[in-house]
Amino acid sequence: MSMLQRSAAVFLTALGLSASVAVHAQPAAGNPYNGNEAAIKTGMGLFRIRCADCHGMDAKGVRGPDLTQVWASGRTDDGLFGTLRAGVPGTEMPAIDVRTPDDEVWKLLAYLRTLAAPAPSEQVAGNAQNGERIYRVNCASCHRVNGRGGRIGPDLSRIGVARARPVLIRRIRGAMEDFLSGYEPVTVTTMNGQTVQGVKKNEDLFSVQVMDSRERLQGYLRSDVRDVTGGKQSAMPVFGPERLSENDLNDLLSYLSTLRGFDPSVK
Amino acid sequence: MRSIPVLSRVARVALLLPLVGAVTLLAQQGAPGLVTNQEILDGLKEDGRNWLTFGGNYANHRFSPLTQITPENVATLQPQWTFQTNTLGNFETTTLVRDNILYVTGPQNVAWAVDARSGRQIWRYRRELPATGLTACCGLVNRGFAVLGDKLFMTTLDAHLLALDMKTGAIVWDATLEDYKIGYASTIAPIVVKDKVIVGVAGGEYGIRGFIDAYEANTGKRAWRFYTIPGPGEPGHNTWAGDSWKIGGTGVWVTGAYDPETNSLFYGTGNPGPDYHSESREGDNLYSDSLVVLDADTGKLKWHYQFTPHDVHDYDSTEVPILADIPVNGQMRKVVMFANRNGFYYTLDRNTGKIIVAKPFVVTTWAKEIDAQGRPMLIPGHTPDEKGETTCPDLTGGTNFWQPAFDPRTRLFFVNAREACATFYAYKPEYVPGQRFTGGAQQLVNTRDNKPYGAIRALDPATGERKWEFVMPTPSRSGILTTTTNLLFTGDNEGNVIALDSRNGKLLWHHQMGANLHGTSPVTYMLDGRQQLLVPSGTTLTAWALPAVPRATAQQ
Repeated sequence: MSMLQRSAAVFLTALGLSASVAVHAQPAAGNPYNGNEAAIKTGMGLFRIRCADCHGMDAKGVRGPDLTQVWASGRTDDGLFGTLRAGVPGTEMPAIDVRTPDDEVWKLLAYLRTLAAPAPSEQVAGNAQNGERIYRVNCASCHRVNGRGGRIGPDLSRIGVARARPVLIRRIRGAMEDFLSGYEPVTVTTMNGQTVQGVKKNEDLFSVQVMDSRERLQGYLRSDVRDVTGGKQSAMPVFGPERLSENDLNDLLSYLSTLRGFDPSVK
Repeated sequence: MRSIPVLSRVARVALLLPLVGAVTLLAQQGAPGLVTNQEILDGLKEDGRNWLTFGGNYANHRFSPLTQITPENVATLQPQWTFQTNTLGNFETTTLVRDNILYVTGPQNVAWAVDARSGRQIWRYRRELPATGLTACCGLVNRGFAVLGDKLFMTTLDAHLLALDMKTGAIVWDATLEDYKIGYASTIAPIVVKDKVIVGVAGGEYGIRGFIDAYEANTGKRAWRFYTIPGPGEPGHNTWAGDSWKIGGTGVWVTGAYDPETNSLFYGTGNPGPDYHSESREGDNLYSDSLVVLDADTGKLKWHYQFTPHDVHDYDSTEVPILADIPVNGQMRKVVMFANRNGFYYTLDRNTGKIIVAKPFVVTTWAKEIDAQGRPMLIPGHTPDEKGETTCPDLTGGTNFWQPAFDPRTRLFFVNAREACATFYAYKPEYVPGQRFTGGAQQLVNTRDNKPYGAIRALDPATGERKWEFVMPTPSRSGILTTTTNLLFTGDNEGNVIALDSRNGKLLWHHQMGANLHGTSPVTYMLDGRQQLLVPSGTTLTAWALPAVPRATAQQ
């Protein structure tokens, strides 16, 4: 990319437009490698080396979003190419810089496409408004959306694009343990017998850093406390059918699917 | 060139005469600044003036005879100063020390001479690197200088070997190892043997054909080359199917050992390429993942031992070999010790290559044991494919390029070990010159019940038995320094420099440095009668010393 192009890209990004589309868009839309078996294998290698740490070997999301849902959510090959080239501002997702040629980016997408989930055949019937009410009552004290809510659990502002519906269901119903780094439960017992419960933000051999249940951040030297114990259960409560009916779960999921964290008009 | 006042030739000669006289006089007195072969051969001595070669001595012991810092007082160490690189990237260097001056290489081929008293820079060398096309797989790092006479030797990311003037940092000569555009790079710390500088190349992930080179220290002229993959007609060539030998990797990116008794070099070699795809290179793939022993004058192969024939897990054998004489079953043996990325610890006879000990030092699932002929007995089901297979250790291995240490008094071998497993995938890759050529990837097994962790382990090299361990919450990449006062210095992955009692692994001291000691160990030396501990961490070097000098030792 020349200096001029780079400045143009920065300028376009500042305007909130997709810089990479402007700079890299192919005249003929679409991925030239879709369905090309050799390219897909190369793409698989690239994905596993460069993307799988955050998005998971199966692309269903770890720290980063589930990528098997992106086409179903309406995004296009060209739009995704632009996202890969530009990164996602304000998140951990980096730009794939000019050292990686275009064809490698397309091959990567050609592989990802083979993992894509089909578009939902029918609109999930759910009342997002009721879902939001359920969310406020049950979830908002620990989770945050667009700057509002608790901080002890992960921020859910982008959960609608980050996780697929079946994964959310398993998570809410407690059928899946998920010890996301930074949210592991921990109990610190001080020398005078007081206990501090919270989630573990970091630790080393000599110290542990905790957010307690009142969201107070505090570090403890292991030599100054009686005990530090990691919990066996996730800090996230289990919402079984007795706490959350199928209908309410459905409404809640409808609400969560609206949380997309960025302008949904970007394709 | 600066303008010089025009003088007559006679006047110029007359002006220079006294200077020439002084130089001659210095030379006659043994020119105190010049580093001699004998001093390198002597290794680390009680006066603590020098650290002149990568491992402290040619045998790579990283064992210091200095006595001021002890298990009793180590917890009172105080920082003296911190040096910052102001350069992106981490130190991975072994600092060389000479008469109160430190010689340090950093990331991106920046290097410094630093005043050991103040931590202030004396000179800085910075190489303009190509903007694109560098292929160093795993970081723009450098592992340190070698030195002889008044020259420092440093490898570069664009696959050159440089000689720098020790007094000024100016380039004396610049030799090209190979073309960086087709996948070659160099990060290794050279060693000097007699009048030659020994180096190797990286690029095992880029389809290179690896080699070890020797250059004349005075001129930069290449003296010999040993290809780690035999060419047509050479023994071992037929261990590579078809043309796979041409792009079979087998880099040499970690410094070896030298045995002056037999004039032999001992170097560990890297993985065959493509790393994970078995069918791309049927055969044993000699001399990948091997210990090669070369005549230091000619580069001719004396013997080799292949740790991992036909490796499919990226188990480079680029760990640091350590030489020693130890009793085994009541008999003194000349051995080379090697803790390998593949999970096994080896003690070999260093004159014949015969196996004395071969025993896993971490959980190892790809081979059951090493048979009497020295061949691993494979456990089936550990060839990666598109579906993936799970093997321990992971690709980073049971240990790796960070340095082990050896205490010749207690005869303990200290290694920074990793317990980790991974699911390996493979697919057929296409070779494109200068492009990554690995044919697969791994995903670390990291679940609540199966988390990778690290441990400093003390092994008895006569049996491979573990004497003690110090467990760390995550695998660390720090090298190890040990001392005659039963101290062991290393780092954990969380950024602590730690001191252990080398007799039992007991924790004695720690300090949070803010970044780990990546791929390197502290070094120690004397400065004005006080023992110093120099800790490289992230972008910093920090010197530590005791608050007051014990009188008895200060007067030595």
